[in-house]
Amino acid sequence: MTNNYYEFFCPVKVIAGKAALEHIPYELTGLAAKRPMIVTDKGVRAAGLLDPVIAACEESGLEIVAIYDDVPPDSSTTVVRDITKVYRKEKCDSIIAVGGGSAIDTGKAVNILVSEGGDDIAKYSGAGILKHPLKPFFVVPTTAGTGSEVTSVAVITDEKKGVKLPFTSSFLLPNAAIIDPRMTLTLPPHITAATAMDAMTHATEAFTCMAKNPLSDAYATAAVKKVSQSLLQVMDNPKDEHGRLELAQASTMAGIAFSNSMVGLVHSLGHATGAICHLPHGLCMSLYLPYVLEFNLESIREPLGELLLYLEGPEVFSATPASRRAEASISSIRKLRDALYKRCQLPRTLKETGKVLESQLEAIAEMALDDGSIMFNPREVSLEDALSVLRRAWA
Amino acid sequence: MLVKRLQPMVSHARRSYVGLMFQVMGRALQAISEVDEITRNETRALPVGFLFEMQVMPNGPKLIVEHTGNGLLHYHRDGAPRPVDLSIQFKHMTHAFLVLSFQEKTSVAFANDRMLVDGDVSLAVRMTRVLNRLESFILPKLVAERAVKEYPANLHLPEKLLSAARIYLKVATNFVETARA
Ligand SMILES: [Fe+2]
Repeated sequence: MTNNYYEFFCPVKVIAGKAALEHIPYELTGLAAKRPMIVTDKGVRAAGLLDPVIAACEESGLEIVAIYDDVPPDSSTTVVRDITKVYRKEKCDSIIAVGGGSAIDTGKAVNILVSEGGDDIAKYSGAGILKHPLKPFFVVPTTAGTGSEVTSVAVITDEKKGVKLPFTSSFLLPNAAIIDPRMTLTLPPHITAATAMDAMTHATEAFTCMAKNPLSDAYATAAVKKVSQSLLQVMDNPKDEHGRLELAQASTMAGIAFSNSMVGLVHSLGHATGAICHLPHGLCMSLYLPYVLEFNLESIREPLGELLLYLEGPEVFSATPASRRAEASISSIRKLRDALYKRCQLPRTLKETGKVLESQLEAIAEMALDDGSIMFNPREVSLEDALSVLRRAWA
Repeated sequence: MLVKRLQPMVSHARRSYVGLMFQVMGRALQAISEVDEITRNETRALPVGFLFEMQVMPNGPKLIVEHTGNGLLHYHRDGAPRPVDLSIQFKHMTHAFLVLSFQEKTSVAFANDRMLVDGDVSLAVRMTRVLNRLESFILPKLVAERAVKEYPANLHLPEKLLSAARIYLKVATNFVETARA
């Protein structure tokens, strides 16, 4: 392609590995932050995940001056306003978000208000509204999947209007993402599986959709390799620190890949299914991935075939004729899903979820067509196309 | 030296071309919404009074259409009557030229970060489908295939020729009307 052009951007410092949390005080000091606030949810606190973070700071004489631990799974403008009040009252000067997608998005939104002023977060909704860097912001992910620690997007629900407000700005990116294997060690099996499959989908879609580029390709393939090599090991041995760290890194790498080259139809369908049937995001990703790859097959034969190397390793790759590699990649993903079903009943079809009615497929298809991610799917998708993928994913 | 002297002429030509294409597309969008049911099925979902803009940053040519109800689009040739609801903005005249001269598909331009969406993304997706439909209607098949991701399978030649003729006719009369006004 002679008109080829791309952009790649990721200014987030990644601090990963054993005793990574203990680097937080040094990093905060480096940004002249002395009064951090932690934003998290009840689950994280109950699992005892805050303790090592707090201990790491206190040992360095850095006091956490406020903790907000009541972020709901679907964060709202009211929550953002409440946290902002606490932040101002306690005269905090930085934010540490500890948690999954919702806590991280909430941290990003709070950072807008405490940096820009005011109480109305809706005012800053949209793309490119922010013009200045925000307060020091750190993210400690406790799930290995969303990749939110390296994306410049946050989504917050406006309860009164019943709409989701998107915020997009590179200033939302945290100063650092701290990836410590201790944070994901206690994730229950079905969440481990679903979030890892979210990361796998981010990487696969980034590598096969329209905005793919050489830099994001490198992150995507590395992420696919790490998930394929470590996911089942971690499922069989949840306390495997090395495997946990591999999955956490894969998630961040996949996040870097997709935030620079976007996702496609798996996400369009997944977002719609999440909104209509209230199924967890990672589950939807795992469910739709092979069916969408089959739908896109003839447009993505080459890159999908390349992924076989990272999914199955060099032996299988070289033993498979080039013309069969794309299909073999899909089989490999199906095999992984079967193995996950065996270990934690992660559904492979809409019927297996027990939460979707066949009569809802039409509504899901319609909603998926309006999802932003569909723009980057390599194949044009009509309502009929979306429905036929859904029907195949049904049972 | 020659390059330096030619540059302004090239950029002037691009600017005029982009401005002209926006006018043609604005009129064609209005026309296609009057003759094509599939387009109206898309546009009906837009709020009535919804203003859509395509613009070249920072203050380049723009195209503004309004949804006046029942899927019908109205082309505002004198600019927006009030702040627009959705804006698709090309970062540079060169990028607009690449897309509007059908050297780069709209979807590829999005993927390549050539343009920004300001407003509801789901409505931007919808407008992209309308633009694709429009392009596959009014352009010869060969050019249209370059402009859109997939040439619609349900667009058979007679239908296309017929509709295209009607759209061209409408665009033409619209031009004449403008000239008279
Ligand atoms: Fe995802």
